[in-house]
Amino acid sequence: MAKHTPLSKEFLKGLWEQNPIFKQVLGMCPTLAVTVSAINGIAMALATTFVLVMASMLISIIRKLIPNQVRIAAYIVIIATFVTIVDLVMKARFPVLSKALGPFIPLIVVNCIILGRQEAFASKNTVFRSILDALGMGSGFFIALITLGGIREIIGSRTFLSYQVLPNAFEPWLIMILPAGAFLTLGLMLGFINMYTDRKKNLEKESLIDQYRNKTKSESAGTVAAQEGI
Amino acid sequence: MNTVVKMILTLSSIGVISGGLLSRVNNWASPLIAANLKAQTEEAIFNVQPAAKTYELVKASGVEVYKVFGDDKIPLGYSLVYSGNGFQGKIRLMVGLSPDLEKITALEILEQIETPGLGTKVTEDHFRNQFKKLETSPMIILVKGVEPSKPNEIQAITGATISSKSVVAIVDDGISIMRELKKEGKI
Amino acid sequence: MELFIIFISAAIVNNFVLAYFLGICPFIGVSNKTSSAVSMGMATTFVMVITAIVSWLLYNLLLVPYKLEFLQIPSFILVIASLVQFVEMVIKKVSQPLYRALGIFLPLITTNCAILGLALFISMREYTFIQSIVFGVGAGAGFTLALTIMAGIREELELSDVPVSFRGAPITLIVAGILALAFMGFAGMI
Repeated sequence: MAKHTPLSKEFLKGLWEQNPIFKQVLGMCPTLAVTVSAINGIAMALATTFVLVMASMLISIIRKLIPNQVRIAAYIVIIATFVTIVDLVMKARFPVLSKALGPFIPLIVVNCIILGRQEAFASKNTVFRSILDALGMGSGFFIALITLGGIREIIGSRTFLSYQVLPNAFEPWLIMILPAGAFLTLGLMLGFINMYTDRKKNLEKESLIDQYRNKTKSESAGTVAAQEGI
Repeated sequence: MNTVVKMILTLSSIGVISGGLLSRVNNWASPLIAANLKAQTEEAIFNVQPAAKTYELVKASGVEVYKVFGDDKIPLGYSLVYSGNGFQGKIRLMVGLSPDLEKITALEILEQIETPGLGTKVTEDHFRNQFKKLETSPMIILVKGVEPSKPNEIQAITGATISSKSVVAIVDDGISIMRELKKEGKI
Repeated sequence: MELFIIFISAAIVNNFVLAYFLGICPFIGVSNKTSSAVSMGMATTFVMVITAIVSWLLYNLLLVPYKLEFLQIPSFILVIASLVQFVEMVIKKVSQPLYRALGIFLPLITTNCAILGLALFISMREYTFIQSIVFGVGAGAGFTLALTIMAGIREELELSDVPVSFRGAPITLIVAGILALAFMGFAGMI
C-alpha cells in the first residue's frame, strides 16, 4: 500500500495533513519550552530534524538486521548517539544558543516524534522514502515552532528574530514569554486550527449535499417533465 | 538460542559503533567547549574590571575569585564569582572589587532564571550600572521608590523588588566573605 | 535548609510540568480521571527516586572518573529503560495489587521526558547524593500534584460546554496555562 504513495506526498504530508505538532500533538515538551523566541524555535527544529533524518536513514538501512525484540533499544541508542553529536557540536560551535536551549537538546532523545517515526515509518520503508518522510515531519515541526516562537516573541518582547517589529508604544505582554503563555498560545492555536479544518470539512459536506440535491432535483424535474409529456 | 545471540550481537555492535563515533566527536569538541568556557569567564572578568590586563585564580580561597592586574603587574583588585537564591532559583554573578574591597568596579550577572521581563531586568545596564563606583561599607543598602541618596545605596527595580534584593544580598555576602579572607591573609 | 529549598523548588516553584514542560505527554493523556492521575503520579515518583539514585551513582562513580561524560545521554536513557522494566518485574513479583494499580502506567514512563530531564538536571547542577534523592522526591511530588489538579479540573470540564473545536488537547493546554499562571504565585517562596 505505502509503496504506491507518490514520493512528493511522502514529504508533504508532514507539513500540514499530519503535522506532528498541530495534527498529531506529539513532542510537546520541546515545543512549549524553547519557543520563547523564534530563533530558539528554529535552532530546536533544525537540531530535531537533523536527528530525525539521520536516525530514519540509518534505521531504514539496517532495519532488516535488527531483531524485532530489541528494536526499541536499538532505536534509542541510535537516536541518543545522534543527539549527543548535535549537543557536542552546538556546545562547541554555538555556545550561546546551546545555553539558551539548555537541557532541551539532550531531551530530543525522548521526543516522541522521532521514536514514533522510526516505529511507524522507517522500520517498514525504503531509505529514500524514510528520508523524505523525516524531512517532511521535520519541516512540519519547523513550521510549528517558528510560528509559535514568532507569535510569542512578537507579542512578548516586541521583536522578531531580535529585530523590533512593534513600536515602543506597545506594552509587551509578559505572559507570552512565561511558561503560561506557551500553554495558552499553543492551546488557542490548536483550537483555531481545529475550527478551520472543521469548517472546511463542513463546507465540503454542504457542497456535496448541494450537488446531490441539485442532481436529484433535476432528475425529479426530468421525470415530472416526462410524466407531463405523457 | 540463535535469536538471543543475534540480539546480543546487534545491540553490542551498535553500542560499540556509537561509542567509538561519540568518542571521536568528543575529542574534536571538548577542546572547543573548554575554550568557549574560558572565553566566557575571561570576558566577564575583564568586563567587571575594565582596566585589567591580566588575571590569575586565587587558589587558597575556597571561593572562585580572580586577582586582576593592570600594566606592569600592578594589582587592581578582584573579580569575585558568587551565587545565591533569587526569586525563582539560583543567581550567579561576578563582581569586580577594588584592592581594599571598599569599592565595586562593575557587576555582571552570569546565570539567572528570574521571571522574564521583570526579574531579568537585573541583567540590564540600567540596574547594573548603579553598582559602578558603589561603596561597600558598611554594606550595600537597597532603597525602594526613591532615588539613592548615599554612596552605598541601590534603587530596587519596580516590580522586581525580590530579584533586586537577592542580587544585593549575594553581593553583600560575597564581600563579607572576601573581608574574612583578607583578614586571614588568604587573598 | 538547603534540602528543603531543593524540595520546594522542584515540587512547586519550578514544577516539572508547569514551569519546565517536562512530562507533558502523560499530562495531556492521563489526566482524565483523578484516580488514574494519582496512580500515574505515584508510579512516576517511584521511578524518579530510583532514577535519581542510579543516575547519580552512574554519573559520579563511572562517567566522571573515566572521563566519559559525553556518553551521558545514551547511558541515562538505557538505564531508565532497563530500570522501568526491572521495577515492573519486581512489583509484579512482590505485590499483585500494586502491580494492577501501577502496571499499565509503567511502560509509558520510559518515554516520559520528566525522568530523563531529572537525570540530566542532577548531573548538570552537580547535586550531592542526598540532594539528588530529595530532588527526585520533590519532582515526583510536583508531577503528581500537577497531574491530580489537572485531572480534577478536567473532570469538571466534562460537564461544561466547551466549543467543539477546542475539546481535547486545546482546552487542556489552555487550562494548563491558567494553572501555570497560578503556580507563578509561589515564586517568591525560595
